[in-house]
Order: sequence, then C-alpha cells, then structure tokens
Amino acid sequence: MTAAELFHARVLEDGRQLRNRPLYAPWLDRGPSLAALEDVPLPEPRSYTWEYSNPNPWYERNASGSDHDGSTEGIAASRGVEVSDFDAAESRERDVIDANLNATIDRRRYPLAFVNDVLLHRGVVIEVPAGASGAEIELGPLGGDFERVLLVVGDGAEATLLERPASPAHRIVECLVGADASLRHTRLQSATDSLEYHLVSSRVSAGARYRFAQYAQGSTMRRNDIHIEAAGDGADIEIHGAWHLSGRQHLDTQINVHHSAGGGTSRQTVRGVVDDRAKAVFNGRIHIAPGAQRTDAALSAKHMLLAPAAQAYAKPELEIYANDVKCAHGATMGEIDSDALFYLRSRGIGEAIARDLLVAGFLEEALGDLHPGEARALLNVQARERLA
Amino acid sequence: MLEITDLHARAAGKPILKGIDLVVRPGEVHAIMGPNGSGKSTLANALAGRPDVEVTAGDMRLVGTSLIGLAPEERAHLGLFLAFQYPVEIPGVSNMEFLKAAVDSHNKALERDELSAASFVALVREAASRLHLAPEFLRRGVNAGFSGGEKKRNEILQMLLLEPRLAVLDETDSGLDIDALRTVASGVNAFASEANAVLLITHYQRLLDHITPDFVHVLLDGRIARTGDKSLAHALEADGYARLAESGT
Ligand SMILES: Nc1ncnc2c1ncn2[C@@H]1O[C@H](COP(=O)(O)OP(=O)(O)OP(=O)(O)O)[C@@H](O)[C@H]1O
Ligand SMILES: [Mg+2]
Repeated sequence: MTAAELFHARVLEDGRQLRNRPLYAPWLDRGPSLAALEDVPLPEPRSYTWEYSNPNPWYERNASGSDHDGSTEGIAASRGVEVSDFDAAESRERDVIDANLNATIDRRRYPLAFVNDVLLHRGVVIEVPAGASGAEIELGPLGGDFERVLLVVGDGAEATLLERPASPAHRIVECLVGADASLRHTRLQSATDSLEYHLVSSRVSAGARYRFAQYAQGSTMRRNDIHIEAAGDGADIEIHGAWHLSGRQHLDTQINVHHSAGGGTSRQTVRGVVDDRAKAVFNGRIHIAPGAQRTDAALSAKHMLLAPAAQAYAKPELEIYANDVKCAHGATMGEIDSDALFYLRSRGIGEAIARDLLVAGFLEEALGDLHPGEARALLNVQARERLA
Repeated sequence: MLEITDLHARAAGKPILKGIDLVVRPGEVHAIMGPNGSGKSTLANALAGRPDVEVTAGDMRLVGTSLIGLAPEERAHLGLFLAFQYPVEIPGVSNMEFLKAAVDSHNKALERDELSAASFVALVREAASRLHLAPEFLRRGVNAGFSGGEKKRNEILQMLLLEPRLAVLDETDSGLDIDALRTVASGVNAFASEANAVLLITHYQRLLDHITPDFVHVLLDGRIARTGDKSLAHALEADGYARLAESGT
C-alpha cells in the first residue's frame, strides 16, 4: 500500500467510526463526503501537479491521527460581520453552511476537500451583509489540523480578509464574493518546519472584484492550491504572489483561474526568490470556458535564484476554449541582474545591501496595495524606509 | 587626483585598452573623445570596477590610492563617480530609497553622521529641482520608464548628492534636448571646483561649448592618440577622426 492509500484507509475508518458520534459539529452530515471518498483516490507522488512535491510525508504525518487543541480563538472581525463556529451554529447559520459549503469546490479535483469534510476539527462561517462597507476580518491559527473557513460576502459589500501566519495540516478557505462586491484577501505564511496542504477556493460573481495575495516563506513541505472562478459577467480578479524561501524550505503553489463567464479580467503577478537549497514550484493555469468571451487574462511569473543549489519550477498553462479573448503569459527564471548590482555598488552601496535591495525590489513588483507592509516584514525584506 | 599609467584592459577576454596614460589634477576638466568602439566606456568601467572589465597591466590611482583590486563600492567611497552611458533600470526599488542607500553608505564608510530622513529628503528635493526633475521621479523605480534625458539628469542628481572627487561622465550629453543640455551643464559647472575634477566622455563639441575643458584627449583603438586643448574638439568636429588617424600621433 502506498502512503496515500494508507492515509485514505485511515480516513475512511475514522470517518465510519465518527459517523455515529462526531465530536465536532455533530449536526453536519459527513455521510455523503465519506461515501464519495470511498472511490476517489488521493494524489500520489509524481502524479499530475505533484511532479515536484512529494505528498507522502504529509500523509504519514497525518495518518496517526490528529486533533483540535480546543482553542476557539483566532478570529477578529469588525462590527456587522457575523462569525459563527460550525459547532455553535444555530439553524440560520446551519442553513448558510449547508447552502454554501463546497459550492465552489470540485472535490474530485481537490479530493483533500472530502478528507477535510470527514476529519474537520474546526470550521467557521463568516458573513458580510450585503451592502456593508469597510468590513475587516483577521484570521489567526484556529487550533485544528483540519480547518475550514467559509466566507460569504453579500452583494455590493466591501470586505478585507487577512490571514495571519498559521500552520495547520490542512486549511480550506472558501470565499463567495457576491454581485458587485469587493473582497481583498491576503494570506501570510511564515517559515515553519511543518507539513501543510491548503486550498483557497473563491467564486467571484458578476461585477465583483476579488484581490488575493499569497505572501509566503516555505516550510518542510507547503502546498497551496488556489482556485478562483470568474463566475459572473465582468468579474475582476487580481492575484499577487510573493515568496522568499531559504534553507531547505519547500513551497508549491498551484493557481487555477477559471473564467466561466464573459467580460472578466484576471491578473496574476508572481515573484519568487529562492536561496540556499530551497525549492519553489509554481503552476499558473488560466482556463477560459467556451462561453467566456471578452475575457482578458494575464499571468506574469518570475523567479530569482540566489544560490547554485536553489531550485524553481514554474509553468504557465493555458486552456482557452473561447475565441474573443486576450490572454498574455510569461514565466522567467533568473539570477540577480549583474548590471543592476554593479550600478548600485558603483554608488557606494556594499554588495550585501545592494543584493538585499534588488531582492526587495524584485518582490515589490508583486505586492500591489494588498498589505504591503505585512508582506515586507514577512518576506525578510530589509526594513525599508518609505521616503517621498 | 587621478593618475593612469600604461593601463591595459580586456572586456570579455578581448584586449580593448592598450596602454593609457592620463593625469588629471584637482580643478581640471578633461574631455575624452573618440569613435564608437574605441574604448571610452571601457576606460570608464575599468575605473569604476565593472566586473567584466579585466585590467591586465598598468595602474590607476585616485588621490594616491591604487584602484586595482578594490570593489566598486570602495572606489565610490574614495570619491569616484561614474555617470553611466546606459543607466540601469531597477523597477521595484524607488529612486528615493536608492539615493538614501547610496548617501548612507558613503556616510558610513567615511564615518560621517547619518542624515536624518527629513534633511535627506529636503536635500534631494532641492537637487532634483535644480535639474528640473519633478518629485514624481523620486518616487518611481530607479530609472524605470525614464526617458533617455531623464535618466541622464538622474545620473547628475546622484553626482550632486554624492559629491565625488572625480566625476566621470560617460556621454551624459547624448540624447539631451537643448534645454536639458544646459541644465546638465550648469549642474556640472556648479559642481566643479578646485577640490574635484571631471572627466567628460563625449562625441559632441556642443557640450564643450557649455563646459570648458582644460584638455581634450582623443582615444583611438584603446590608446590616447592625441591630446590638445579645446581647439582640438573644433578640429575634430570639422575633420572627423579619419583624418586624425591618417596623420598619426
Ligand atoms: N562586456 C563586453 N563584452 C564584449 N565586448 C565588449 C564588452 N565591453 C566592451 N566591448 C567591446 O569593446 C569595444 C569598446 O567598447 P566601448 O564601449 O568601450 O566603446 P566606446 O568607445 O565607449 O564606444 P561608444 O562611443 O559607442 O560608446 C567595443 O568593440 C565593444 O564591443
Ligand atoms: Mg561608450
């Protein structure tokens, strides 16, 4: 049996046992997920999208069971935002959860979502009422190994979600962005020695704007799947990715932007810096469905390698099934620009500081206006004075 | 100030400088002219310590200290400044933080007090306005998307802030319109003093109408083929380099 099969069997067994007496949010019906998981295999090493990351240590780490540490902290939200723990959900919240949980996720494609359903340690549903403005939500560690966040942003509302560093084994953040709403979503991931596998799945409705930023250092193995759907006419998506890896850190980022409605725009800007023996894997896929005419999609992904043993694998993937679209993509791999380094040094700036400046400048291209201060602090970019 | 003796250098393995001798004293302005590919920028790069220019023989001394083997930043701290023929674009680093890093590095190396952020900003704004560079250029990435002329003015801005002993200006006049040429020339004239020196690399007589050189040197195939005063530049303008090459040294 492979590690994936062993883990799969363990989840099924736990799921069957828990079925009659779930400890957490017993009202949630795990039955359908458990049944579906029976015949959905889990990703094996070297299978599609797992060419450069090995999931086995993650399976092995989680095969022995794990659980929630009992904390219920980890969320702060501004007034008017409704936050409910799945365990404490009343009937109204249960309806919201039942209606929306997994609505954006193709779980056969992301089978760990079934696993998350079955093993769930902690889930929260966050609702931003229609028309609200300036809603702010901050998430920290939620205390479980298998966590779920369901964010529903009502039509026309405007909200910011900041995920502070946390390193559960598996967190799914699902965002439903209502018509003409706007969501800014930043995720910070600091260096850890944990094994992690996460999914962000967001659906952007007509006329809505979703801006997502992933700022990360690596961990022993950290995999981020990010699936964003432009589901309504004119949905506007902006994705920023910036990472700075060192030591033996490993970060694997798989972004899938799915245009299923027309007139949408998506912009992906990714900058990765890889030092020492670290490894960055990036896959940026743009899928434009047959009906999604007048889509305008772009992807720019650049990696900078700072050491001979540093590795980066970056690939754009396009699947375009509509004819009236614009789609631009580019992925490059390079080192520190020697002309730029000489230029800075010729101005008296020592080599170490000059390199730091160039690294910071390179990452800066991916920050946009999504929590750039937090990003700089996280990415170990020299404290840079903002002068003007 | 600067003494270059029998300097030989290669760029990418190819011999380019084939025995340069040059002495620049404090307070002097020297112009270096010469056809494309004659080695003018290679000489400037050898002085500044560009890694792909390899000095194979000879010496270069700035205020008595040999530059051979010094890192580019050490040469800058000694008082050398090179205005690049092709200034480099660095999009993510703001011009202001670049200038601050440069000035801070100098102050640190020379054991001078660090400037406060406020007085630094005031200093930069003042210098920028003298060069007719709008404050917007300080916020933008280093040379990022600057026009040719804006890049050249940005080089002079750096020179004014770093106050070098020897400023080497590599075709800083190329690509400037008439007004910008005047602005840059008046910046250089304001900078030049008895305590420093300027080495101007140029193709055009017109810069020398604004900045009067004490000496004009003609570089041909990696050697100084002729040295004269300002009138040499006029003769070149009239006759070109071919005649000079024929007549020998
Ligand atoms: N890094 C390099 N690699 C290869 N060749 C080089 C390099 N640097 C300079 N050269 C060559 O050395 C010669 C002199 O170049 P240099 O740039 O010094 O000329 P220049 O006199 O400044 O010319 P221009 O007036 O066009 O600026 C040229 O033939 C050039 O191609
Ligand atoms: Mg040149």
